[in-house]
Amino acid sequence: MASQVVKSSIVGTKVRPLLSTTKGDARVRVLGLYKAWIRQATLIPHDYDIPKNEEQVKERIRSEFLKHKHVTDIRVIDMLVIKGQMELREVAALFKHKGQIMSYWKESIEPKPTDFISKFVSGSS
Amino acid sequence: MLRGPLTKALPCARILSPVKTLSTSAINNEKFEVFIDDKKVMVDPGTTVLQAAAMVGVEIPRFCYHERLSVAGNCRMCLVEVEKSAKPVAACAMPVMKGWRVKTNSEMTRRAREGVMEFLLVNHPLDCPICDQGGECDLQDQSMAFGSDRSRFTDIDHSGKRAVEDKDIGPLVKTIMTRCIHCTRCIRFASEVAGVDDLGTTGRGSDMQVGTYVEKLFLSELSGNVIDLCPVGALTSKPYSFTARPWETRKTESVDVLDAVGSNIIVSTRTGEVLRILPRLNEDINEEWLADKGRFAYDGLKRQRLLTPFVRNCQGQLIATEWEDALIAVAQKLQTSEIAGVVGSLADAESMVALKDLLNRLGSEDLYTEYPFPLEGSGTDLRSSYLLNNKIARVEDADLVLLIGTNPRFEAPLFNARLRKGYLTNELDVGYIGPKVDLRYDYEHLGESTDLIKQLASGSHAFSKKLACAKKPLIVVGADLLSRPDGAAILALVQQLAAKVTTDANVSSEWKVLNVLQKAASQVAALDLGYKPGTASIRDKKPKVLFLLGSDEGTISRGDVGQDCFIIYQGHHGDHGASIADAILPGAAYTEKQGTYVNTEGRAQQTLTAVSPPGLAREDWKIIRALSEIIGEKLPYDTLLEIRDRLGQVAPHLIRYGELEEANYAEQATELAKGVSSNLSSEPVDVKQKNLEDYYMTDPVSRASGTMAKCIQAVHKQKQSKYYEEAVN
Amino acid sequence: MAKLIGLDKLANYFRVIKHNGGILGSIKTLLRTDDLKFGTLVGVDKLGNKYFENNLYFYGRNRWVVYHEKFGLNYDGSLVPSEWYGWLHYKTDYLPHEDPGRPKHKWMIQDWSENLSGSDKQYVPYGTTRTKVEGWTPPK
Repeated sequence: MASQVVKSSIVGTKVRPLLSTTKGDARVRVLGLYKAWIRQATLIPHDYDIPKNEEQVKERIRSEFLKHKHVTDIRVIDMLVIKGQMELREVAALFKHKGQIMSYWKESIEPKPTDFISKFVSGSS
Repeated sequence: MLRGPLTKALPCARILSPVKTLSTSAINNEKFEVFIDDKKVMVDPGTTVLQAAAMVGVEIPRFCYHERLSVAGNCRMCLVEVEKSAKPVAACAMPVMKGWRVKTNSEMTRRAREGVMEFLLVNHPLDCPICDQGGECDLQDQSMAFGSDRSRFTDIDHSGKRAVEDKDIGPLVKTIMTRCIHCTRCIRFASEVAGVDDLGTTGRGSDMQVGTYVEKLFLSELSGNVIDLCPVGALTSKPYSFTARPWETRKTESVDVLDAVGSNIIVSTRTGEVLRILPRLNEDINEEWLADKGRFAYDGLKRQRLLTPFVRNCQGQLIATEWEDALIAVAQKLQTSEIAGVVGSLADAESMVALKDLLNRLGSEDLYTEYPFPLEGSGTDLRSSYLLNNKIARVEDADLVLLIGTNPRFEAPLFNARLRKGYLTNELDVGYIGPKVDLRYDYEHLGESTDLIKQLASGSHAFSKKLACAKKPLIVVGADLLSRPDGAAILALVQQLAAKVTTDANVSSEWKVLNVLQKAASQVAALDLGYKPGTASIRDKKPKVLFLLGSDEGTISRGDVGQDCFIIYQGHHGDHGASIADAILPGAAYTEKQGTYVNTEGRAQQTLTAVSPPGLAREDWKIIRALSEIIGEKLPYDTLLEIRDRLGQVAPHLIRYGELEEANYAEQATELAKGVSSNLSSEPVDVKQKNLEDYYMTDPVSRASGTMAKCIQAVHKQKQSKYYEEAVN
Repeated sequence: MAKLIGLDKLANYFRVIKHNGGILGSIKTLLRTDDLKFGTLVGVDKLGNKYFENNLYFYGRNRWVVYHEKFGLNYDGSLVPSEWYGWLHYKTDYLPHEDPGRPKHKWMIQDWSENLSGSDKQYVPYGTTRTKVEGWTPPK
């Protein structure tokens, strides 16, 4: 897959994979990361004392993984896995604050107004 | 101020030329060559060393020399070495001779500058850290560039530095006279440009002082310009004192809208606040001057502002609301075609075109300006009827000006400064019809009767001969005079007069004799956009809804439209319009929006946003655009570019910024005016602003300004002074 | 001996129950104060709040106030009158009526008034700096 993408965009350039060599390899890494997160999910509500329960945390982790389900480039998958591992390490080691954990849900950010009247009323135009 | 000596004193070659041809026609005008720092330059005879140096880009330091003032030659900073001359010469006063080799960077020149600078600094206080001029001080800059690198001043403990008592010369200009270096720029400005011979010097040597001789205030409508002229911190702005340093402020180029001249200005702002307004160079309009109202009324932008929308509740109280509620309340009332719109003097063209589009969509054609203008004859269809056709700058070239029913000194101070310049340097004669006013130059007062215009038009008056003999005659009519009930007859007469003068005096087609001097910044743009002048027909029609776009002159009152009429006021100040309104929509002032204004000569210019509108205030055209969407008659523009496209569709010249769109068809207007039936009334010609105290407060911004109120108080105080004398004119 | 096998704890337990008026009373007190204690009633102030002392408890917990029942759960520290404040906060060991040299200031006689924080009448600090832009207020 990845080789096809590479071929179609930059002809004649061979790109070295980051970690995984095949799609199956990448899949194993993703599943490993997912399992690790789900195991951590049992601890997160207690560790950080957040108003979310285990189910909600698992649901959030699941949706975060599904958000990237369309990604097919192995190198991109590898990159995302590495980022996910870094994030997990930080969460597990309690490097983060409660607010940072809660920002995964990000319910407080309002979308910017786009049409004339809402821009006018909010004064952002 | 005498007219003769200045003509000879002025160095400017352009101004000199007519005099030269008169008196010294024997001398040929061929250019000759001189050398500035070994660079060859060809100059006209009579050019000074300083001007010749400027031609090759060599700038000679100066304090007393100023391009627009006569030469004084007393600061000696411009000393340069001339080869084969024993002494250095003052470059600002010395005309170059053929073949001179001027050295502006030689050892002798540098030593001369160092010496002059040392003498200046001996008696100049070292208070730069608390001086308002700090950062924009000529003395600071030039002592860094041309001064000595070490001090020999040791006498601070014994006799000390010269100290001079400060003078109180009014509420606008602060004096710290110890800092004065006696360049006499302020004195020359006062007597030459402003025409107020109040300032002068007393004493000699280190006892010399600049002052007013007796205790009086320096009151002039142009007094603020001496602040810009002063090369040191002796004259600084009183309202701006201890406010900011020049490097802290953000400068925005804009246009003054408090009179119809459209002076170019720079708005200095810091942390969302307008700190001061300075003039911007524009040779076609304001040169480098600015009238006091435009310069000092900015504190009115911070007082009496409309910060939230207001809607009148069922108890008859105006209640502050949010935009949603106000827009819906106003939109409910606007579902009718019986609407009239009135635009005030400070409205920009964008909001005017938006209001016109909105009301037209609702089925109303009743859009009016506050200032009336005769509609008979060609009315406002032909621009030549309401423009200052001959351009502001060309007034200087005129040799005879007839002012009818206008006081240019207060209606357009910078236009009057041009007239005065022509009077001093170009043998300009002025005739005047109207009440006796002080214009700061001599004029021939013809009388106050409207019959005079008739007599002039028929050629039976003595002044007609002068008009016929003149090479470049001008007739300037005040907009106030044309707003009278018999304005149409007056305009028709004046047009006839202008046509007669044009043929009698045989002036070229380039030269437009007829000129109308407007008072309001919005008037020309409004008439260009097709607004009808005057609010008289609103009184007959009694609309259900009245939309006031910044109209604060009180030309329409609650009694004119009845209690049932729903009055919407959109503007930036709580003034007359807001006090009669049922709903108030807060708009932006001219420093807070990018808006198009057309000045009295028909030049479109734009203001730029210097600060954001305060509180919930919004840009004016956006308010109307938002309102239109709530009503369901959505106007087809969302951005400034789109509304300017629309502006260009209606009147293309409105978006050609900085360019003057000339008016043609003056002859056709005269032809059409012949059919005017109305008769002249016997009411004498009058002007509204007769004295200086009438000048300061004429619009919502200046009426809210504390500085302008202080100016009026100062004028009243001056009148009680024992040194006060009525003008002689 | 009883102390050694912890019987005194049991005795205190029953004293607490008794002091608070039986099992129901104890539950009620626990609900109001989140605490169950027993001690001697040393005084009642003008609002009807009861002051207790029991030196069995550690210093800092040995003096306490039980607010009058009319306040329900809606009580706060401002209900303690100024004359009792000193004793309750260990500024003095004298009870208000025992204290020989207690000054009588005007503010001490002042009646209790409700703490308005959180209501619309609460005190809001205001700045004395001028606003950059003065707004227009419609004429009344």
